[in-house]
Amino acid sequence: MLHFQIDTHSGVPVYRQMMDQVKYYVAAGALKAGDQLPSIRELAQTLAVNPTTVVKAYTELEHEGCLEMRHGKGAFVTAAAVGMSSRDREKALRRLARQLAIEAGQMAASLGQVLRLVQEEVEAVQGERAEPELPVRLSVVSRK
Amino acid sequence: MQTAIQTENLDKAFTGGVVAVAGLDLEVPRGAIYGLIGRNGAGKTTTLRLLMGLLRPDRGTARILGADFWEAPRETRQRVAYVSQRQQLPGWMTLTELCRYVGHFYEGWDQAHARELAERWELAWDRPVAQLSAGQQRQAAVLAALAGRPEVLLLDEPAAGLDPIARRSLLTSLVESATHGTGCTILFSTHLINDLERVADHVGIMDRGRLTMAGRLEDLLQATQRVQVVFDDPAPPPEFVIPGAVRTQVSGPVMTAIVRLANEAQLEPIRAWRGVRVNVFPLSLEEAFIELYRPRDEGEAVAEAAVEQERAEALARSGATESAASRATPSLN
Repeated sequence: MLHFQIDTHSGVPVYRQMMDQVKYYVAAGALKAGDQLPSIRELAQTLAVNPTTVVKAYTELEHEGCLEMRHGKGAFVTAAAVGMSSRDREKALRRLARQLAIEAGQMAASLGQVLRLVQEEVEAVQGERAEPELPVRLSVVSRK
Repeated sequence: MQTAIQTENLDKAFTGGVVAVAGLDLEVPRGAIYGLIGRNGAGKTTTLRLLMGLLRPDRGTARILGADFWEAPRETRQRVAYVSQRQQLPGWMTLTELCRYVGHFYEGWDQAHARELAERWELAWDRPVAQLSAGQQRQAAVLAALAGRPEVLLLDEPAAGLDPIARRSLLTSLVESATHGTGCTILFSTHLINDLERVADHVGIMDRGRLTMAGRLEDLLQATQRVQVVFDDPAPPPEFVIPGAVRTQVSGPVMTAIVRLANEAQLEPIRAWRGVRVNVFPLSLEEAFIELYRPRDEGEAVAEAAVEQERAEALARSGATESAASRATPSLN
């Protein structure tokens, strides 16, 4: 069973967090085309979240083409989702980059300084990693 | 949409003139998990007690499943369960005896579910309830309510005094009853807003006996955001006002406000301002609640009065400001 983590302090809507995490798992290869996701009831109970939140997350993912809802059978990862995940990775990264840009702007940091720090951190993380599957570990999975 | 719980124009004052509930209009759709929040003394408990027919309203109506519980027949009562804030369980009874006793009141009593919950919550079957910890007594009361498989469940701070693990388990069980069979409508009061944000689909915020905000959780979250405006100049121009701002703070070139956001278009005038960057951040329900309801300290009150005055003056000169805004070209946004 996939592990989902919900953070109700982040201000990010719960369904959005679930969507991001499904995409993260697809991007990381933990979910493959044709894999079945937990049923709405099961996931709602496991995470102790409102069932309509799970419905919303699944419906939005279906709308985006990442999931296919088969009537009476459940939700399945589509083949298209795997292709899409690289674009989503870019989007998720951009969100984080934007956040960094805003905060760096508030601290009046120079572009050179920001770029240098990013480079150093990427290298440090890559150095720590034993298996370089993903170049950078995405923290789309909500922060603690 | 069918309504499970409804109050109309509900009033209740206690002796000594303490007004607990004043003109309350509450509507809980069938199948909803509805969380009621508000500061202590906002009237949450009184509302639940009025609904259950434990108090008589001074004015207005309170109905569950269409029935006034002051006079509802047993057939209707057994479709509803209620766990009060200070549950008085008969202390000498064991959980076995308690279930046998309460089970008589509910046609749909589900003993297997009672056993399942007792196991999950590690509650002893054969010890007198009075010997259980405060948290476990609370769980025993919730167990007795859930095992009745009610159509409507009213809970007054069900998670108060529970440790984090027991709390999560309680939430799971609530979600489970909401999805069991034809589904159960749940109305609960709580101070644990983060828990509420997880399980609820509807929220009502009570303040001084009435609902000040109510609706779908998602809409409520959408309607309150933190807006930050960063100016290229060292300080915002004095006439600058963020539309819909409830609280505004200025620190150097950065103006931050909690904004009631009706729609995105509301921010267009300030996005069009020259030399500003506008950032919108979502707020968690807890942050939104605290920002909207915490008492203002003196400095803030003064600052807000100043902002209000600026706004009034800006409005008076609105011709000038509007043309300034329309002249400006959208910058970084």
